[in-house]
Amino acid sequence: MSTADLRLAWRDVDWTGIVLAAVMAVVIIGPLVVVGLWAFAEVWRFPSLLPQEWGLRYWGMTLGRADVWAALSVSLQLSFVVTLLSALICLPAAYAFARLDFPGRDVLFLSFLTIQAFPRFGLLISIATIFLTLGLVGTFWGVVLIQLVNTLMFMIWIPTAAFQNVDRRLEEAARDVGAGPIRVFWSVTLPQAFPAIAAAILLTFVGTFYETEGAWLIGAPHVRTMPILMISFINNQLVVQLGAVLSLMLWVPSFLFLLMARRWMGPEALGRGLGG
Amino acid sequence: MTDTATSGGAATGRPDASGRVTGLILVALPVAMVMTMIVWPIGLAILDTLWLPGPDGTGARFSVASYRFFFSDGYSLGNLWITIWTTAVSTAILMAIAIPLSIYLRFRTGRAAAVVQALAIFPLFVPSIILAYAFVRVLGPNGMVDIILANIGLPRIRSPYLTVWGPVIGFVWDNLPLTVVILLAGLSGVSTQAVEAARDVGAGRIATFRHIILPRIGPSILVAASFVVLGLFSAFTFPYLLGPAAPEMMGPFMQRTFGDVLDPVQARTQAVVTFLFCAAFGWFYVRSIAANRRRMAR
Amino acid sequence: MDRRSLMKLGLAGLAAPALMRPARAQGATLNMYTSSDANISDFWSNVVKPSFEAANPGVQINVVIAREGGGTQAIAERALAALQTGTGPLLDIIEQHDPNLPAGGIDAGLWVDWTKAGIANYGRVNPLAIQTNFGLPYRGSQVLLAFDTTKLGQDEAPRTWAELVDWIKANPGQFIYNRPDKGGSGGNFVRRAIHEANGRDPSLFTVANFDAAKAEGMLAGGFDILADLAPSLFDAGAYTSGNANSIQLLAQGAVTMIPAWSDQALQAINQGVLPETTGLVQLTDLPLAGGFSQSVVPTNAENLDMAIALADFLLTPEIQTAIVTGIGGFPGVSWSELPADLQERFAAVVPASIPTFPGGDWGAAVSDGWYRNVAPNVTRD
Repeated sequence: MSTADLRLAWRDVDWTGIVLAAVMAVVIIGPLVVVGLWAFAEVWRFPSLLPQEWGLRYWGMTLGRADVWAALSVSLQLSFVVTLLSALICLPAAYAFARLDFPGRDVLFLSFLTIQAFPRFGLLISIATIFLTLGLVGTFWGVVLIQLVNTLMFMIWIPTAAFQNVDRRLEEAARDVGAGPIRVFWSVTLPQAFPAIAAAILLTFVGTFYETEGAWLIGAPHVRTMPILMISFINNQLVVQLGAVLSLMLWVPSFLFLLMARRWMGPEALGRGLGG
Repeated sequence: MTDTATSGGAATGRPDASGRVTGLILVALPVAMVMTMIVWPIGLAILDTLWLPGPDGTGARFSVASYRFFFSDGYSLGNLWITIWTTAVSTAILMAIAIPLSIYLRFRTGRAAAVVQALAIFPLFVPSIILAYAFVRVLGPNGMVDIILANIGLPRIRSPYLTVWGPVIGFVWDNLPLTVVILLAGLSGVSTQAVEAARDVGAGRIATFRHIILPRIGPSILVAASFVVLGLFSAFTFPYLLGPAAPEMMGPFMQRTFGDVLDPVQARTQAVVTFLFCAAFGWFYVRSIAANRRRMAR
Repeated sequence: MDRRSLMKLGLAGLAAPALMRPARAQGATLNMYTSSDANISDFWSNVVKPSFEAANPGVQINVVIAREGGGTQAIAERALAALQTGTGPLLDIIEQHDPNLPAGGIDAGLWVDWTKAGIANYGRVNPLAIQTNFGLPYRGSQVLLAFDTTKLGQDEAPRTWAELVDWIKANPGQFIYNRPDKGGSGGNFVRRAIHEANGRDPSLFTVANFDAAKAEGMLAGGFDILADLAPSLFDAGAYTSGNANSIQLLAQGAVTMIPAWSDQALQAINQGVLPETTGLVQLTDLPLAGGFSQSVVPTNAENLDMAIALADFLLTPEIQTAIVTGIGGFPGVSWSELPADLQERFAAVVPASIPTFPGGDWGAAVSDGWYRNVAPNVTRD
């Protein structure tokens, strides 16, 4: 495998990777390092290259608050529950959209676009009415439901493309040697679509973690998620340091997730997706 | 999950009954959710823009006056145009970066590739509000870039803060992970052997890309572009925090019309126009999925 | 709809939920929302909450911090939906919210009418601060000019509008104000230009006298002044998107002068966000317009009695004094209602009143007119 890869390398030297990594480190990490520096800065004025006064004052102010940890826990619970439910109801639907024929298929498929394409501000009263009638306002499950709706487009559109791209000849070959439909789906179709499904799950999880609009409309004042707490730290404060501290804190779960993402979508997973 | 013979039958124009029922059952739950919680409220909002009180303030009736105002108002059209421009430029830049990057990541193993991939996905975890602050601190007037330039004795940059390029830079940075993740998933369907074979018979990089890779990741490019366009078209945070006061992108424009000009009907009209542009773009994707379904089933 | 039927509806809205209002419950929690800057939420947590809870045993105030711009609006829309469905809005009071939002809310009887709410202290409110019957002005703030004294000496700072215009033109790129709808400091700078174009007479603009045709003519002069300034502003016509963003540019030394809320500027200097060398100055020919926070209580609040009692409490001398001394704000009640020693102590620094500008239709006309007539004037290459 590795010799084949080397032979097929698009550039003869791995300089590409090193240059790419260097450029992206500056462009992607650079701005965040500056924000990170602000988290340790008490005073930093132009044109000094580094803060004139350093300190940990803002860290103490942030970490000392119990509500930060409670909000982090609420956010993680929400993200796990929403992502799981979303995968359960959307993946079968995505398979149907990719493979089956039924009346109104294209229109129904297109209808998921309304989730992202129609600005929410004009719909708040109608949406609030539905949730108030269901008695879900201010509850955990109310927030789960509104966030679940938000995830539908990602969780259906991305896997649909993947189910379509699955090589039908492999499925037919499996059937020819006597595998049943469930077995074919489980052992042939699903592994091939897996990288895309993993991508959809990743995007859904992170998107749900940072979702604020629905969580605020339905959850306030009882359900406090991390980004809602964070907004109260950043938006209304003159001192952005508090926000910088919190964003650094949010990168901790993010890093854990990045590691998982590597396992799902790294070269190994891609290899598995190819069935080899 | 029924077998693929069902869709095979569908493609030749003989939809079979069990596939139709199974399909509807499988999509029922998400469709019901989107219909009740999104499509129905949108229907009400659209009705609001077409059912206006008469000139004397009483007796609601059908009218397209709010749409006529939008399409005859130079300021509104200017805002629509800057939105289209920003979306097109950002998407083009994003694709120009993400496609080569994803191809590199797909066919490379090793430490450098792992680092590049981690970096490319990283912005996913940075809330846009933090990025906006980072932007002002780095590219803003007297920001980090100016600090570094001043310290090595060079003149300052012309800051993109509060110009049309502010949101473009923010969008590209913010949407890079989404695009790379979707493209990378699509590229997993391109077999290494096929590329290898093409290279063996002497196909150049461009030819390999056009004939081997592009046909396989076409749907992924479309789905990625759809998400990016949809996200950008009604985006709020970046144009509001980083862009110029005028022309406004549709996101801040709608919110201002709604909450500050106190004109909910015109705000909803702006929302409907925005939505129609997005829907038109989404239709391309749906069409390509349908075409692909026929092609694959053949 | 005329004013009288509006009031009637407001009354009806007040009466209906009163029937099902629970008796003053022990252990009630009041949900108070704010989207104001941090000094205000701190003021609520550290001053209002403890003293109100001490005066009303068993009652708790839950200070809920909302996103700036739209945060309280979503909650207000939810309250309107709750009113229509007869459910609870999980909201008792919003510390600062425009009662005109959501559209149709006043007509539906969403907000408590303060003239009918029977609160003892309402008569003490500064009449100039009242915009509608549904917003209770409990604190005010003035906008002044904040500048960098290392670049412009305290003695050389402009004191009149004419001097300010001369200074801005003589120092191109050194002044910026924020968009009038995004944080009020820029908005009140715009309003000051409009006052200038109308003989510096704020009394020409009242809540009741809005007329679209007349307004266009009255506002045009102000927009001309501002359009004329645009090429001399930062980046030849850029406008920041909020109060804090302007302060950030001043702190980074990118500009020399900005308009700023007095309380926010003082807090920024205290926290070290702005350097010690920051100067503050108010115009003497006519101060920059200020603004008053309008508190609203929905008629379907879970703890309506308590919320109204809290609103009344906000107008007591105790809290009004704390607003002046604690956050450098401006009282919502008339100065004559405050303790004599306090009046004396602040007489030198705080004007007897601050010019205001009506919201509602006037505010909407200023904001939209500015975006259409002033903001596009960018003379960049």
